[in-house]
Amino acid sequence: MRRVAVTGIGVISPLGNSTGALLESLAAARSGICRLEGADYGRLANPIAAPAAWEPTTVAEASKLRMMDRATQFALGASRQALTQAGLPLANLDSARIGVFIGTGMGGAQSTDDGYRTLYAEQSDRIKPFSVLLAMNNAAASWIGLEYGFTGPNLTFTTACSSSAVAIGEAAMRIGSGAVDVMLAGGTEAPLCLGPMKAWEAIRTIATEDPRDPAASCKPFSKDRTGMVLGEGAAVLLMEEWESALARDAVILAEITGYGLATDVSHLTHPSLEGQARAMQLALTSARIDAALVDYINAHGTGTLANDAVETAAIKQVFGDRADKIPVSSTKSMHGHLLGAAGALEFAISILAMNAGMVPPTANLLRPDPACDLDYVPNQARADSTIRTVMSNSFAFGGTSVALIGHRSS
Amino acid sequence: MNTYDRLVRILANEHKLAAEKLQPDARLDELGIDSLSVMELLFMIEEEFHIRVPNDQVPLITIDDIVNYVNNLIAQQADAVPHQASS
Repeated sequence: MRRVAVTGIGVISPLGNSTGALLESLAAARSGICRLEGADYGRLANPIAAPAAWEPTTVAEASKLRMMDRATQFALGASRQALTQAGLPLANLDSARIGVFIGTGMGGAQSTDDGYRTLYAEQSDRIKPFSVLLAMNNAAASWIGLEYGFTGPNLTFTTACSSSAVAIGEAAMRIGSGAVDVMLAGGTEAPLCLGPMKAWEAIRTIATEDPRDPAASCKPFSKDRTGMVLGEGAAVLLMEEWESALARDAVILAEITGYGLATDVSHLTHPSLEGQARAMQLALTSARIDAALVDYINAHGTGTLANDAVETAAIKQVFGDRADKIPVSSTKSMHGHLLGAAGALEFAISILAMNAGMVPPTANLLRPDPACDLDYVPNQARADSTIRTVMSNSFAFGGTSVALIGHRSS
Repeated sequence: MNTYDRLVRILANEHKLAAEKLQPDARLDELGIDSLSVMELLFMIEEEFHIRVPNDQVPLITIDDIVNYVNNLIAQQADAVPHQASS
């Protein structure tokens, strides 16, 4: 297998629309979660979420934007950043050797919601002519391919909350196998409209709004956690074959060394220790490293009662006596749960923080839970320039469980 | 304002095209108006002219083709209204 280098990262997130802004927010343990204003949101039991401050015209002109759901716009914004950072000489490359893999849980959810509103609420039969093109799940990946003329494999993965972690893992394997040389891979999600938010509310996983501070509503690993908070955004990694990256003197942010993919078949939604542990173990096996070498884990850490305790137990099973020596954080406490984009954003955060010599915190962890007794880096980021190997966990409804491992040698 | 003028106003506005380029015999493809844009244009035409554009695929090559198509629909649907009302 050929080695895989990450040479560019782009993010549109509730904590900022650049990797620099994102890192700054994480270092300050600043939450992007807020109370949503607007008539629709008044119909939610807990009108809280982590929105991205987004200006659509930064990615396309008005005539094209009419064909792009918010999720597609995010993906284009993040892709552009990743490509710019990587500085690939695109004109000299064979476009057929460049692919795009994007993960999304809900695709063009806003456009679907708008269409339903027109049809059912407004009782109009005049649905927007581009509704299909806006809402189709592969729109984001397609637009990236179109915009940059990449004619290699273009796939969309949808495995709920692990979608983009799968996209990155599968992309790394394509480069590893020699099928392609360069991949843009990541995820995007824009679920902050009434239909999807009501659906998430109905399944009773959404956190209760913190009465003192809405920004502190998501409390992973804390005894008083009440659930997750939805977020929106995109994260895209520019990945390329290691030797070519070295040959062009690219700045390598990390090597993607491990990808573990397991299916948790114990229940459609309830996570099991075995499923989560197997994903982490498989990632370690594929990275050909011992569990002792992992320096940081970005947990799935949704803030639900079920996940956080099970994930803690799974980490203990995989890492044994060393489990409580590894800093584990849930950055969802600040950027919310980006669903299909969560895995990519959190793996991006892991790599960025490693390069910045920083361990991102778990915010709002004020009440220890006996079932969650690892080092969750509570409430304050830590400086640590010794971190070389990071793991990011993503577990999904439906059971697709993923762990990604990134490494930097110096 | 006649059908052509109203159509030119929409096209100039939506596609940022100079009105003098929008001559009756101008080809849509040469103006950069592709099949998807035509689909969207038909949606706007429904609103502008208060008509329903059928789902049939009609070859529309030039601006004049659209003007004629719209005028036919206006005539047909103007006839249809009293007919419906009396039924």
